[in-house]
Amino acid sequence: MQYLMHEYSLLYQAAAWFLTALGIWKILEKCHQKGFWGLIPGFRYYKLAQAAGRESEGVMALVFEIPMYFLLAVSLFIPADDPCQRFISLAVIACGLIMIIYKIRVTAGLARTFGATVLWSILWAAIPYFPALLWGYSRRYQPVNLGKVAENELLAGTAPAVLPAALDHNASDDGLVIHIRQRTAWDFLRRRYLLKDINLTIPNGSLVLLLGGSGSGKTTLVNAINGYEKADATILLNGVDVYENYEQMKYRIGYVPQQDLLRQNDTVNSTLQDAAKLRLPAGTNSSEIHNRVTEVMDSLGMTSGRSGLVAKKSGGQKKRISIGMELISDPELFILDEPDSGLDGVIARELFEKLKEIADTGKIVITITHIPDRVADLFDYVIVLARDSGRVGRLAFFGTPDQARNFFGQPTMERVVMCVNRKDEGGEGRADEFIEKYARMTMESEAGND
Amino acid sequence: MTKKIRYNGRFRQTFIYLGKLLRMFIYQNDWKVLPMAAIIAGLVTFAVGNNIFKTQEGTLSGCFSLVCVCIWNGFFNSIQSVCRERPIIKREHRSGMYISSYIVAHMLYQMMLCMAQTVILIVICNIAGMDFPDKSLITGSFMADFGISLFLITYAADMLSLALSCLVKNTTTAMTVMPFMLIFQLVFSGGLIYLEGPAEKLTSLTIARWGLEDLCTLADYNSQPMVTLWNTVFKFRAMEIDGYKPIEILTDSILQEGKLDQVLQESGLYNTNPAYNYLPGTIWKCWAILLVVIVVSSAASIMLLQFIDRDKR
Repeated sequence: MQYLMHEYSLLYQAAAWFLTALGIWKILEKCHQKGFWGLIPGFRYYKLAQAAGRESEGVMALVFEIPMYFLLAVSLFIPADDPCQRFISLAVIACGLIMIIYKIRVTAGLARTFGATVLWSILWAAIPYFPALLWGYSRRYQPVNLGKVAENELLAGTAPAVLPAALDHNASDDGLVIHIRQRTAWDFLRRRYLLKDINLTIPNGSLVLLLGGSGSGKTTLVNAINGYEKADATILLNGVDVYENYEQMKYRIGYVPQQDLLRQNDTVNSTLQDAAKLRLPAGTNSSEIHNRVTEVMDSLGMTSGRSGLVAKKSGGQKKRISIGMELISDPELFILDEPDSGLDGVIARELFEKLKEIADTGKIVITITHIPDRVADLFDYVIVLARDSGRVGRLAFFGTPDQARNFFGQPTMERVVMCVNRKDEGGEGRADEFIEKYARMTMESEAGND
Repeated sequence: MTKKIRYNGRFRQTFIYLGKLLRMFIYQNDWKVLPMAAIIAGLVTFAVGNNIFKTQEGTLSGCFSLVCVCIWNGFFNSIQSVCRERPIIKREHRSGMYISSYIVAHMLYQMMLCMAQTVILIVICNIAGMDFPDKSLITGSFMADFGISLFLITYAADMLSLALSCLVKNTTTAMTVMPFMLIFQLVFSGGLIYLEGPAEKLTSLTIARWGLEDLCTLADYNSQPMVTLWNTVFKFRAMEIDGYKPIEILTDSILQEGKLDQVLQESGLYNTNPAYNYLPGTIWKCWAILLVVIVVSSAASIMLLQFIDRDKR
């Protein structure tokens, strides 16, 4: 009897696994993926996760499922009374539990893709073959949110440049020359394009606004420009290749992150002194360091409260300290990621006026901001980045703020962002139109110059 | 080609960060680990009593408690020190900070903290009236041998915890993982819980096992009397078999002949542990292993933190 029960259990499990695989095969086909992945343990949930827009959860489910099967296979070759069996059982249980959690997350995402309630994920966890077969074979269950997720993901991962690349600008010895062919990243098993064909030259002494919706690649672009995350690109700062001379150039490029990444329990003076010791050339003596710190503090309007703790300073003052840490090395290129976040209008305006003063000393200052109109008059140039239909960040415009308003036919910079933002982000979804228009305009301009 | 400018290298940066950490000691309330160490040492010495260094049982439980104090101190010193400022480290790394300088600065700073905690622990043990042996195996002074051992245990735990702090992304994860590390150290010390088979082999991976071996050897565990046997037998004095009380006769005879100390001493000889043989080699071996833990953990910290640039924005 016990033998029969054991055989029945094995038969049931095999049948359940096979039925689930069949159901997932059809679900994947409905999601425009290859159905045979449904037959491959581990990868079938990864593929479902891709369709559900929950790729990271799918990766985790895969990462725990594969070792679990491996350990189970190993246990078959070890005697049952071997103490190692206990360790293997523990590891299998741990992997199995974690895998189940991630599978629930994947199926919850899949439920959203199919427009169903997340409660379905309970059924997926308990008797997966039932929802798999139902969603796979019933016409009632169709992926309703797929257009926003899977198709575009597919394009983003595989599509070559769909638009003609803007022509390269002539390399210049002055200013910042950006020539990014592409910036890609491996996302588990796929190469994803983050940026493509971004070519522009920024003259020295410019305050530049970098505009774009969320996910358009603004931070990726600035990281590629300053060499922190290298792209397939050539970046020249006053004639020097940033990538080839990164170890030297990183001291000539200042990057101020969005958050105030400062040790709150250190004094303002010590924070800037330490930044100076790190970023100024070796051999700079203490009086020179002191003078440089004083100079930077004066230029940022932080004349008092040097001995106070950073934690006691206001948001605006912390932002200035953060800027001061980079400004201390007198960088030629200065990049700021949302320096006005958390600041009120007056303080933000004052801050941008300071940045304009810095730019006027012959430096290039690039800033990202989501509230550009209150300071739009201060900028010399605007870069507009947009995510195309393949979810790749591309250059939609580079020129003066007035040219930008004319190009997009919009009265404000915020409206410019709205018009290139995707519809599901509340925008007008016209990114492809402007990317193509700008690329054509650049080519015509280059052809005219020739 | 740009003109090469020399910036402060690893050596100078180490001292810039050491200065920063010493300031944090004052401003960021890191000094609190010192009174905390005193409180824990006080509680443990109160609980251990005066049997440590006198009997095998007292020495084993006392040394185990001291090892626990050291591991606890070490773990708490550095468990949050790196992960709490991970985004700041990332920013500074991209501005030219060397990860090795940052970690070496932490190692020097934590070394100072561990030394201070060791001194506090020894002072508290003295105040509690602990009766230290007067013979030494290595330096000629028991207190010096004992202090070095306590320091190495604390510092090894500290460096292991620093590596964990470099591995995890935030303080919540660090504080979730730390109890598991602590329990692993205590359960697999091999001191209080008898382990055999694969579990016994795991003890080699713990600081607690080598720390306990070190302290028990220094205390000359194997030459101490054993009291458990006598106490157990004494409990059964009233046992009567056919109107005859054999255990009472035995214990009374030992007491009347004044041979109790000899019995306890002889019992101890049957309860020796070869791992605690009173030899300098045992101590050198334990210190070497603790040093290996320190070096490996520090190297792991540097390697793990090199991946900081891959942290998500």
